[in-house]
Amino acid sequence: MPSVIVLAVLAVLPSADLFVDRAADWGLVFTYKTGQSGELYMPEIMGGGAALLDYDGDGDLDAFVVQGHALKPGSADPGPAGWGRLFRNDLITFAGKNPLPRFIDVTEASAIRATGYGMGIATGDYDNDGWMDLYLASFGPNQLWHNNGDGTFTDVTAKAGVDDLHWSTGATFADLDRDGWLDLFVLNYVDFSVANNVRCFAASTRKDFCGPSTFAPVPDRLLRNRRDGTFEDVSLPSGVGRKPGPGLGVVANDLNSDGWLDLFVANDGADNFLWLNQRDFTFREDGLISGVAVNAAGRPEAGMGIAVGDADGDGDDDLLITHLTAETNTFYVNLGGGVFEDRTALSGLGAPSLPFTGFGTSWIDVENDGLLDLAAFNGAVNLAGAMGSGEGLGPYAQPDQLFRNLGGGRFKDASAEAGVSFLTPKVSRGAAFGDVDNDGDTDILVVDADTPVRLLVNESGSRNPWLGLRLVGRPAGAKAERDLLGTRVEILRKGAPSIWRRAATDGSYESANDPRVLVGLGSSSEVTGVRVLWPDGLAETFPAPPLRAYTKLVRGTGKELPK
Amino acid sequence: MRLVGIISALLMATALTWAETVAVRTPDLSGLESAVAAQIGEMQGLLTAQTASSAADPLGVARAYGDLGQVYLAYGFNDAAADCFRNAADLDGKEARWPYLLGATLQSSGKLDDAAAAFARALELAPAAAAGYVHLGEIRLLQGRPEEAEAVLAKALATPAVVAAAHSLLGQAALARREFSAAARHLEAALAAVPAANRLHYPLALAYRGLGDRAKTEEHLKQAGQVGLKPPDPWLEAVTDLRVGERIALMRGRVAARAGRYADAEQEFRKALAAQPKSVEARVNLGSMLALREDRAGAVAQFRDALRLDPANATAHFNLAALLADGPERGEALEHAAAAVAAWPGDAEARRLYAQLLRDGGRLAEALPEYARAVELAPGDETARLGEAETLVRLARYAEARRKLEAGLSQMPASGLLSHALARLLAACPDRSVRDGNRALELAMAVWNAQPAAPHGETVALALAELDRCTEAAEWQRKAIDAARQEGLESRLGELARALSVYEKGSPCRP
Repeated sequence: MPSVIVLAVLAVLPSADLFVDRAADWGLVFTYKTGQSGELYMPEIMGGGAALLDYDGDGDLDAFVVQGHALKPGSADPGPAGWGRLFRNDLITFAGKNPLPRFIDVTEASAIRATGYGMGIATGDYDNDGWMDLYLASFGPNQLWHNNGDGTFTDVTAKAGVDDLHWSTGATFADLDRDGWLDLFVLNYVDFSVANNVRCFAASTRKDFCGPSTFAPVPDRLLRNRRDGTFEDVSLPSGVGRKPGPGLGVVANDLNSDGWLDLFVANDGADNFLWLNQRDFTFREDGLISGVAVNAAGRPEAGMGIAVGDADGDGDDDLLITHLTAETNTFYVNLGGGVFEDRTALSGLGAPSLPFTGFGTSWIDVENDGLLDLAAFNGAVNLAGAMGSGEGLGPYAQPDQLFRNLGGGRFKDASAEAGVSFLTPKVSRGAAFGDVDNDGDTDILVVDADTPVRLLVNESGSRNPWLGLRLVGRPAGAKAERDLLGTRVEILRKGAPSIWRRAATDGSYESANDPRVLVGLGSSSEVTGVRVLWPDGLAETFPAPPLRAYTKLVRGTGKELPK
Repeated sequence: MRLVGIISALLMATALTWAETVAVRTPDLSGLESAVAAQIGEMQGLLTAQTASSAADPLGVARAYGDLGQVYLAYGFNDAAADCFRNAADLDGKEARWPYLLGATLQSSGKLDDAAAAFARALELAPAAAAGYVHLGEIRLLQGRPEEAEAVLAKALATPAVVAAAHSLLGQAALARREFSAAARHLEAALAAVPAANRLHYPLALAYRGLGDRAKTEEHLKQAGQVGLKPPDPWLEAVTDLRVGERIALMRGRVAARAGRYADAEQEFRKALAAQPKSVEARVNLGSMLALREDRAGAVAQFRDALRLDPANATAHFNLAALLADGPERGEALEHAAAAVAAWPGDAEARRLYAQLLRDGGRLAEALPEYARAVELAPGDETARLGEAETLVRLARYAEARRKLEAGLSQMPASGLLSHALARLLAACPDRSVRDGNRALELAMAVWNAQPAAPHGETVALALAELDRCTEAAEWQRKAIDAARQEGLESRLGELARALSVYEKGSPCRP
């Protein structure tokens, strides 16, 4: 039946899709293999993720994708086929034409041996040497890969003290104490192991994947950067490690607008956590009273991916969490000061998401009209959400969704315009967002289970005026400038409201995004300046940057604003 | 399997002969529990028999479609169920049950517009089916149409059975519209009608938050739980009751167990066992419920039976070890704990239990690395940290015990368990070089202030004695004795009194 539906939709599609999959054309050939064993081990339905990062500092986004493998005891070692892969983007620039990415698999040369059963990725320059490092969260040992700056990486996991014994699904680098050095939050899920696997069943009594409540939740981990290449485990004294939860999504963001980065964790089938930064490396969990722990009806939902951004254009970041089939994706609007309201139903984002199980997600301004739209990548985790058919994970396939921002907090399902790749059912998981071809709009690298990755290239956004910003600085003791993750920018426009955006790599599901800020300007393109709030609290203004180009703003080179 | 395939083929063929019906999608029945496949096959057969008759009565056929649809819905075959209910509703336009169940099926599939239309039709036919208003109200809320939800739910307010559910949804509709006073009013009414529905405290807290009433917000947040409000819904409940077999009983049992309804869970696991007497899972779950219901002998019997059927079952090993740990069969408990650890090498709880059994059996040197591993696996496990320190004390490795407790406290500064243990060690360690009376007193006072219990008062007295403040020590020991009396710790009174007499004699009174 789904194939019939797809064909019917194809017949009425407009000729110009908003997104076109160019992964294979551009050399990004990779399939995340879940290693289906027939035992329905939980990790086989949960991974994996991707990262878009400029690891070689040449100004374009490269890609890293994690890999799975067979978990059944006695399975053969897959060797290099079971490793995550690094793809270098050799962007070719033609005079008068859009640049053309070309991805080369450089895993062997990079020395990255991502041998774990891959789940999530975090990117950040933890040692302030100017090069983006990689943290790989796995079912099994995690790895921290230090970027040597010469195209190679070194496994520094043990030296840095950042491994984790639990099943980790993601992580985020964030400067939580404003000392200029990135700390690390490791997101953990449940106490599943191949040895303690149990049989679970669908409503039909057919064998099915277990849900998170089958296993005990485990605590997350917080690691404080000692500024010497190592981290101190402060999970328990910070409070973060004292509250177990089945975490699948995490963002570091100043959600209460006090100038300090907080941590939001989307838990699967349990209350979400909002860890408010107490400014002394302790955190207070305030999810319930803040209104983001459960939905408006008081029900905890199956939190997977997180989209964070100023979706309603009022200057603070709102949250959307993707959820299980029969639950809505939930839209928590930030009212300011850390108070949120569930506006799912009235936004138009709820009802259309009910049949789907959402994972990778982000607010993106698809057409650069200044309003953040929403992309959600779907795929069931149990037969209750099954829409597809066939062998393996076929029954779990679902189409993806795109919602257009109509303004005023209202959205419309625009999946049909997004393109055939959105409408073709897949078991989608991680999605990394970034401008892969540097043409001024946001593209998406999607990891689907057991089918080739997709690179959904935005075909429309660069028509509207835009500006791009890279927000960097050189913290005390740093060897070089690095992306200052967590920086917020306000784009001041003449005769039009400001636009607020944030530099970050976290969010979505198990993935890491472009650290640059891309701002669509729509019809109000007269920019009068940029106000920047750096993560250490410094506020500066910068003159209007050029349109249709990426501009580097360096902390300390703007005009300082009074606190 | 073959039989089901033939029936399905017949079903497709017969469906074509009924011009007014749609072809029912045939679900894949492979992998289903045999009792379930047989049940579905039987209902498919009944429909086939009905439609095959030359004198088929449309109402009889409608009923057969409806019955098959109910079985499909019971097992989550929603597409096939919807087809059946559509046919049933078309063939018997006067029966409200079929459009009602069609609405419920479509609602659970997220097809809200069609679901709403089906419920509206059902309510035209049977306005007394008040749960339909609740469904319709829910759908309109999900669709972001709170005004329409309110109009529908207003009709449900007249029916006592669903009035609480109607108020609950009206509260949520008002909340969506940011009409906080109305939201609070409706939600208070719903909670007054069904106080057990503690989930409603959360939206009520949000309503008070919107009204700026911080005290009431916090009051209701504290009471918020996960018991929802479900109105009587006889037609849907009848569908649920159709489910049979081991797996359904296991699922129901787990749900009941998670909700703390252990008696219900026990019943379900017994049903699972009746359906499949060789089910190890049913036995292990039944054993767990019996243990939680304090039927130790019954639980042990179930776990032992489970291990006879599956000697490698790690859960049965672990549970049996935990049950036997405090009794005379510690040797057997240790064997089961070892088996659990071997099966689950990364499980902190199993590791801690194994360590505890080794320690209690006097195998202290072997217990230590097991405790260390348990702490490594679960750094927040105070009991494991305490066990490790206690084992070191029993090995007379006092300085190490102190270091371990200090390390634990640096990770968990608020831990009363670790603070108390460290205070004791610092006050009365046999190795006097490990003692630190001032720190012991500081820790012991903090613990007493947080929880004024007899052992905590005794530790304050010990710390004071270590500082040779004998009069104060005696005063605190008297407090500890009073507390012990209040706590019913008669057996400790003699020991406490002996220490008191030492303190009362004055300096030197160091323990």
